[in-house]
Amino acid sequence: MSSGDGLVFVVGEEKSLRELLLDSDVLPLLQGLIALGAGSAGIADQDGEELWGAAGPGARGEILAELPLYLEGEQVARLKISGEAERRERLKACAGLLKIALDTVIRNNLKRVLTTEIHTSVVNSSHEALVQINADLTLSEARYRELAANLETRVKERTAELRRAHTHILQQEKMAAIGQLAAGVAHEINNPLGFITSNLHTLQKYVARFCAMLQFYRDHLNLDLPIETVSAEGERKWRELKLPQVMADVADLLSQSLTGAERVTRIVADLKGFSHVDEAQDMPVDLNEELERTLGVLSHALSGRAEVIKELQPLPRITCNPQLPGQIFLNLVQNALTHAAGETRIVLGSIFDGERIRISVADNGPGVPAESRGQIFEPFYTTLPVGSGTGMGLAVVYEAVLKLGGTVTVADAPGGGADFIITIPIVKGEG
Amino acid sequence: MIEYNESERRMVLKLVYYGPALSGKTTNLLQLHEQLTRQGRGELMVLDTSGDRTIYFDLLPFFLTAPSGLKIKVKAYTVPGQVCHDATRKAVLQRADGVAFIADSNPDEAQSNFASFDNLERNLSLVGQDIELLPLVIQFNKRDLPNAISEQELRNTWEPTGIPLQMASAISGIGVTETFAALAGLVYRRVDARFALAATHGLSCDDFVRQLTCMRDDAAEGEP
Repeated sequence: MSSGDGLVFVVGEEKSLRELLLDSDVLPLLQGLIALGAGSAGIADQDGEELWGAAGPGARGEILAELPLYLEGEQVARLKISGEAERRERLKACAGLLKIALDTVIRNNLKRVLTTEIHTSVVNSSHEALVQINADLTLSEARYRELAANLETRVKERTAELRRAHTHILQQEKMAAIGQLAAGVAHEINNPLGFITSNLHTLQKYVARFCAMLQFYRDHLNLDLPIETVSAEGERKWRELKLPQVMADVADLLSQSLTGAERVTRIVADLKGFSHVDEAQDMPVDLNEELERTLGVLSHALSGRAEVIKELQPLPRITCNPQLPGQIFLNLVQNALTHAAGETRIVLGSIFDGERIRISVADNGPGVPAESRGQIFEPFYTTLPVGSGTGMGLAVVYEAVLKLGGTVTVADAPGGGADFIITIPIVKGEG
Repeated sequence: MIEYNESERRMVLKLVYYGPALSGKTTNLLQLHEQLTRQGRGELMVLDTSGDRTIYFDLLPFFLTAPSGLKIKVKAYTVPGQVCHDATRKAVLQRADGVAFIADSNPDEAQSNFASFDNLERNLSLVGQDIELLPLVIQFNKRDLPNAISEQELRNTWEPTGIPLQMASAISGIGVTETFAALAGLVYRRVDARFALAATHGLSCDDFVRQLTCMRDDAAEGEP
């Protein structure tokens, strides 16, 4: 039978005798009785309807035996034997035997049917359970596959996102550094520009006096006055206009202004060289030159505040993006300035040992404690109070050194302080 | 789940002997077969066993006729107790009208008793039956064991559940008929509530139980 849950095999459902006994089970037994001399042998149900029957060639005779047949305790049929009266005893005994045989066949068939039913039921339910488990597993496997596939995509997405954010922050840090630099440089340029402007104002006044003097001579010459008079008048005017002092001052003013203009030119050249605004392509770079340039643009921050000791040895040129060394040195020197206290001393060293370039930037600050050394190059790591440092300076250094194919580490400087050491291997044939 | 065919005036009731492995389910049926009269009682069908262990089930059928002529067949089944035959247990439990839970009085088997009862509860719900509504008796078998859990302890544990308890020693035939009679009584009440056995068919609970549990002494051979 079927139900909402699929097929349900009911074990032990009621069976009729017809369902349990085959003709081949019953008929040979009945025919056996005919062979033994019975006139007829038959099985009839409770309503008297014949289910199986066998008859001999002669007369049926009278009914000699009528025995009940039971199925699971319930009488379901009768076994009827007829024949000649004189064979009654013998045929009755045979009928008894036949009933026992039929009972045995019924019981065995019932057992077989029940066994088959329970077996089928168990096999089917086990199969259904397995199919269900299989379906569940397939579903769950699909879910996990999808999850795994998505996970990979998600991880890729997030990684790309992080990388973008990281790049963005580094870029911002570079912009911030350039902003700071610009402020310093503006001050540097303002100073000479100030006295150049002031000198020009003075020169403007002086030029007016020269013009007045020249105009005086021109006017007097046109009057055809005697030369003595003109000379005397001219001398009086000359003094009136204080031209002797003016003449003495002009040379100073001009040379001062020229020096100032040259200073501005040099600052702009340094800045341009430092930022390499015109050169984004890889090109041969002398790291010592870059170091000097950096000190040049930082001169406003260094002068009077820090003592810079340079121990630079000639280095082979390396091929790289020329902006990178500036970023490295600017951040390292600024880092040294930020952390050093009191009389700041910065020692810059460079050396080439034939295989690698080694540049060190050492300060006399508090140094970097051993437990922080793993973290200082990480983005956002800072020991400064919140809001004071971006925590990106050394991350920019790390990033840039990595692009140069080198490494950066921090050690204790002799006599205390931090010593940042950059090592860049030189590939043979380069430089 | 009572199987009732009004046109044929037949009713088939299914009782299931449930319980942990080796608790004496088959022994209960063997003893019933032994003790009860052959009048209206069929042969005990013991389906193939593996050694002494039931692997399919045993079946002891009973047949009686109500005064109204309603034919009632009562079939008592056992289930295999071993854990691995759960599918068979479920199949046999299908459409059960009453359950006799045969528990083991051996204290070492206490865990098996609980596990099997749990299994009964789960399988009943799987075949769409509610253990709260199904006629259920618990028989604590093997009372003859020297280390059997004390009756008082068992009553303390089980009586709060409201399930009737029977004490038995099936191997010697003690408590077997009583358990069967108790279950038959519960099943009668459920059938009576739905099909008015007493009012419509003139069959009282006592008559029903007495006919099923007629002892062999007053047995008359099954000739009509």
